[in-house]
Amino acid sequence: MSKFFRPDEYLVPKTIDEATSLLAKHGDKARPYAGGTDLLVEKPPQVKCVVDISSLPIDYIEKDGGGVRIGALSNCASVMSSPLLQEGANSLLARAARELGHGGTVRNMATIGGNVCSAVPSADFPPALLVLDARAKIAGPEGERTIPIQEFFLGVRKTALKSGELLVELQVPEQPANTGTAFCKHGRVSADIALVNAAARITLGQDGACQDARIALGAVAPTPIRARKAENLLRGKSIDDALIEQVSQTAAKETKPISDVRASAEYRRDLSRVLTKRALQEAVKRAKEG
Amino acid sequence: MRMGDLLIKLNVNDELYEVKVKPYWTLLRVLRDQLSLTGAKLGCGTGECGACTVLVDGKAILSCLTLAPRAVGKKITTIEGLSKGNKLHPIQEAFVKNHAIQCGVCTPGMILSAKALLDKNPSPTEEEVRIALSQNLCRCTGYVKQVKAIMEAAEALRKGD
Repeated sequence: MSKFFRPDEYLVPKTIDEATSLLAKHGDKARPYAGGTDLLVEKPPQVKCVVDISSLPIDYIEKDGGGVRIGALSNCASVMSSPLLQEGANSLLARAARELGHGGTVRNMATIGGNVCSAVPSADFPPALLVLDARAKIAGPEGERTIPIQEFFLGVRKTALKSGELLVELQVPEQPANTGTAFCKHGRVSADIALVNAAARITLGQDGACQDARIALGAVAPTPIRARKAENLLRGKSIDDALIEQVSQTAAKETKPISDVRASAEYRRDLSRVLTKRALQEAVKRAKEG
Repeated sequence: MRMGDLLIKLNVNDELYEVKVKPYWTLLRVLRDQLSLTGAKLGCGTGECGACTVLVDGKAILSCLTLAPRAVGKKITTIEGLSKGNKLHPIQEAFVKNHAIQCGVCTPGMILSAKALLDKNPSPTEEEVRIALSQNLCRCTGYVKQVKAIMEAAEALRKGD
């Protein structure tokens, strides 16, 4: 096998069914081609068949009650500028989209579906989707299924997609009232991928105490994770700086980061603490603002 | 035609070209090596430097991360498509007048990023221009003259020059 990316077929399915049939037929030798910002960098040598899915009818952002349904082909620029994602807790996705990549060109090409399906630990959309309780709609040769987003990520570059399956939509529910969200990302330079990224969702009760909390961290484990012990410390409590500090330290202890060329595990662990703190502070502020 | 070759039609700068490509050839390669439109540059090849920036249906995209067959049916604009014969586009004029070009490698990509910005936002602030240029790395300059040139070009375009 060549060690170079040398597909000899370029297929353009016109329907989702045609796409899933092609993906099932060619198995590991086929790859869907959406934005190309991961595929053309990775250039996986085993790919013999490029399945261009860019003209499938899954490029939309639509109202769904108080929530949104986002077609998997929506690129970052669309997510950033969608009128449905400018205000409220779900605007977290537009804020996360803004942090992806290093410039408008990448964001014109990279899709939310591609980012989620890459399943790289540092992907930027997953932590936001995790704290918003998103669901992933998947089409396949045997029909459609929808799963909670946390069940989608199985490991580094490993998703719950079975042979022939294609992620077609992300479903984001209406968030509770008095909820604020935040996204923080830090890299060696602003153009870098995340050394750590963090998303938080805080819901305040009528008494001002924390009714519900969500904290998600990326790039600190084989998959994006929820810091559940940290979340539990917040529920029912009145949130002050001291509690945020304690919660951030707990969240950092829930991470399993690696040392690599970008940062040491110790640095990532401490950065998790700092980004959790900043995300919580911003989420609380936004929750109070209503 | 060998197995794996595709015969495709590309609309580049309002001209239709028919080219034989392999499925894994990038749009950048086809523009440069088959169409001799060498304005777009191969800088990093991984989508980080922006030297390969071209406009597809008016949007700035990275041609080194675009497979050539993807560009079928789209309107591609390269830097060569900005000037009309010997008449430079106002953004090009402003770059020349303001000495915003040193080695020139980043220049085509930068000018096209600027065009995409000004087409969408004819009155950008300097901050907005800088943000738009974050997708184009320049190793020679400190970006000062490019920002100045783009602000001047924006004014010239608003005046209808």
